[in-house]
Amino acid sequence: MSTLKIKNLYKHFDGIKAVDRLTLSFEAGKITGLIGPNGSGKSTLINLLTGVVPFDSGIVIVAETTKLSKIRPYEVASFDITRTFQDVRLFEQMPVMDNILVVLTKRSVTGSLFERHKKYHLEKAKEVLEKVGLWEKKDELAANLSYGQRKLLEIARALAMNAETYLFDEPFAGLFPEMIKIVSSVLKELRDKGKTVVLVEHNMELIRELSDYCIVMDSGELLAEGKPSDVLSQKVVMEAYLGE
Amino acid sequence: MSLIPQLILNSLIAGSIYSLVALGFNLIYGTKRFFNLSHGAVAIIGGYIAFYFTKSLGVGIIVSSIIGILAAGILGYLLDRFVFRKLRQRKASDMVFLITSLGLMIVLQAVTALLFTNDFQIFSSQFTSYQIFGGVITQVQIIIIVSVIVISTGLFLLLKKTRFGKMVRAISDDEEVSKIVGIDTNKVIGWVFFIGSAIAGLSGILSGLDIGLEPTMGLSLLFKGVIAAVIGGVGNVYGGILGAFLLAFVENFGIWGISSEWKDVISFGLLIVFLLFRPQGILKK
Amino acid sequence: MEYLLHLAIVISIYSILGLSLNLIVGYTGLVSMTQAAFYAIGAYATAIAMTSYDINFFLAILIGIIISGLCALIIGYVLSRFDGDYFTLGSLGFNIIITAILVNWRGFTGGATGIPAIPRPSLFGFDLSTNLTFFILALLAVVVIYFICKFIVRSSFGRVLKAIREDEKAIQVFGYNTHYYKLAIFAIGAMMAAVAGALYASYLSYISPATFDLNESVFILSIVVLGGLANNKGAIWGAALLILLPEALQFVGFPSAVAEELRQVIYGLAIVLFMLYRPQGLVGEYKL
Repeated sequence: MSTLKIKNLYKHFDGIKAVDRLTLSFEAGKITGLIGPNGSGKSTLINLLTGVVPFDSGIVIVAETTKLSKIRPYEVASFDITRTFQDVRLFEQMPVMDNILVVLTKRSVTGSLFERHKKYHLEKAKEVLEKVGLWEKKDELAANLSYGQRKLLEIARALAMNAETYLFDEPFAGLFPEMIKIVSSVLKELRDKGKTVVLVEHNMELIRELSDYCIVMDSGELLAEGKPSDVLSQKVVMEAYLGE
Repeated sequence: MSLIPQLILNSLIAGSIYSLVALGFNLIYGTKRFFNLSHGAVAIIGGYIAFYFTKSLGVGIIVSSIIGILAAGILGYLLDRFVFRKLRQRKASDMVFLITSLGLMIVLQAVTALLFTNDFQIFSSQFTSYQIFGGVITQVQIIIIVSVIVISTGLFLLLKKTRFGKMVRAISDDEEVSKIVGIDTNKVIGWVFFIGSAIAGLSGILSGLDIGLEPTMGLSLLFKGVIAAVIGGVGNVYGGILGAFLLAFVENFGIWGISSEWKDVISFGLLIVFLLFRPQGILKK
Repeated sequence: MEYLLHLAIVISIYSILGLSLNLIVGYTGLVSMTQAAFYAIGAYATAIAMTSYDINFFLAILIGIIISGLCALIIGYVLSRFDGDYFTLGSLGFNIIITAILVNWRGFTGGATGIPAIPRPSLFGFDLSTNLTFFILALLAVVVIYFICKFIVRSSFGRVLKAIREDEKAIQVFGYNTHYYKLAIFAIGAMMAAVAGALYASYLSYISPATFDLNESVFILSIVVLGGLANNKGAIWGAALLILLPEALQFVGFPSAVAEELRQVIYGLAIVLFMLYRPQGLVGEYKL
């Protein structure tokens, strides 16, 4: 079943078509690799799907039933969608623990005003932080973490959301091998639990290893899709990358 | 009834002064996008220095004005050189720039008040007036309108036709890339501050000649200039001129029938309308 | 002794103002230049309630708080659509509007001449009019508001405010409608400022629009910046510092007319120097 589908999605910036009438779907229980040369529109697509950037036309369909012609960023969580950011957007002057707690606690103004985090919030935070190996750093300010640790925190934050659809934007970039292992197992675990995992990535090794399905974009359009081994051997795909 | 022509003339004059403030502000804003609260204070200081030279030292008004303009330009350059450049170097956030400019504004305003007292100062008013289309216009006011035409043309030529202008536009697009390409961004931005502040100084002098000077005027003058820039389209240098005249006309015709103390409220209302419905302004970048 | 009490009362009033603005600027990252407007609303509401309608001080404060809160919701609704510099610009404009209204609505607010003869508080016949009792009242207000600020900051709500300050778009993606949060804290800050206004009105027994103009908002902002953003105690230190400074200057021998400008030079310079070399202020935890 597809938790996230797009039909004819269109977005242009100053005349450049960043996403050009794109129609795709992302399936549950699969890791879908989203690849393409620089500027193909992958990150823009993720931004459109999470309301960070508004799209000009087209429809986004969530869980096969909800049709959206507009996405506001604060609605995204209610559709059980979450993401990481390529350029790591953490809450810098807050400790690691708070970065996680803030996505666990009540969303309403009055609700959050009278809430101090409870035991189960702390337990859930511990769970995700331990999974990425950041529990010891829980009181450290996010700004003081190393680059790799920051990327891991991004992932922990997304995990804490307990969503159905996870959009990872280049989560492996700049990571050491040990951290790559951690992130890989996180993605696989999500997939095995039946979640929809979308992985935007440049590293072809990882794509081959991790993705069950592959979507290739170029200049905002869909270039190819299918099993990774098939897609990655197609001539058009190689040409697109060589051309970049 | 010569009210309408008079209102039109008043609008043209106010619009011209606001244009100058907007031009100076936009020029600097292009290189570093932050709400520079000290810009208004620099403008008023230009006015005070010209005032000092002509009133206390007896120097001719034209020479005094040139001194005032240069002084304002130098002041702006110094503020950039010793304060803003440091902040740029450590990539400080917009909030830091804003608050720093606030501190500078406070200091400049207070020093001005210490040197010249808080009283309202009026330049010598021996200017001849003329009658045009039923309205009255003074020599000063003609100079004001002419200045805008001269300055905006000059700025246009500078930005479009000279190498310096190219560098300014490059920095405006992307400071990092400009550095990589080899542009000495600090030097260029320093000059931009000088020119922008000099224009501000001119607006302060003209404003002083038209209504008078008071140390706290800087912020409201800046406020009008910024509103003009926003309405016209922030980032578009000439949009500020369009916005300035639109603002001036709405202000002057808007208070027809109600007390002139509501002028600021009207200008602010116009700002809010634009920010809510067309935040990018009238003209595109 | 009377003089010290006077200073203590003034510091208390400005501490409340500093605490209120700190929630908005220091914790939520919204540089607001209109806090004086809410200070004014509190002052005027109290003054009018007490002089024209003979309402008890404590009830009048409540009225001031409510009106201030409502105005903040309206003003905040417009402002929360903007961020960064535009928010500041817009807030500046609102201060100008409120001042203009205070000056022009002569029938109600007494116009530029203001409202005189505002009485001191009284409760069940107990007269609280001495400076000493007034100081105790003001101190109590500071303590209560300090603890309210502490409570807010420590709650989940406070954590969200900080996240908004750090990266508003990011926290939105995680399910928060930040408009409501910004609106809420803006209103809370406004209501606290109104308390300061009420105290001011009753203490001085006379108010006029000139006290509450843009310069006052700038002054309150300076208290918060110098004391240290996102530190409640810092707001109180900042208030103490800025109020005592001209007194110290006068003590050293500067005439009072000059002392005012000199104070501004000093704290303006301090702001610039702090931003350049110590952005966290005196005791702040938020390093800009």
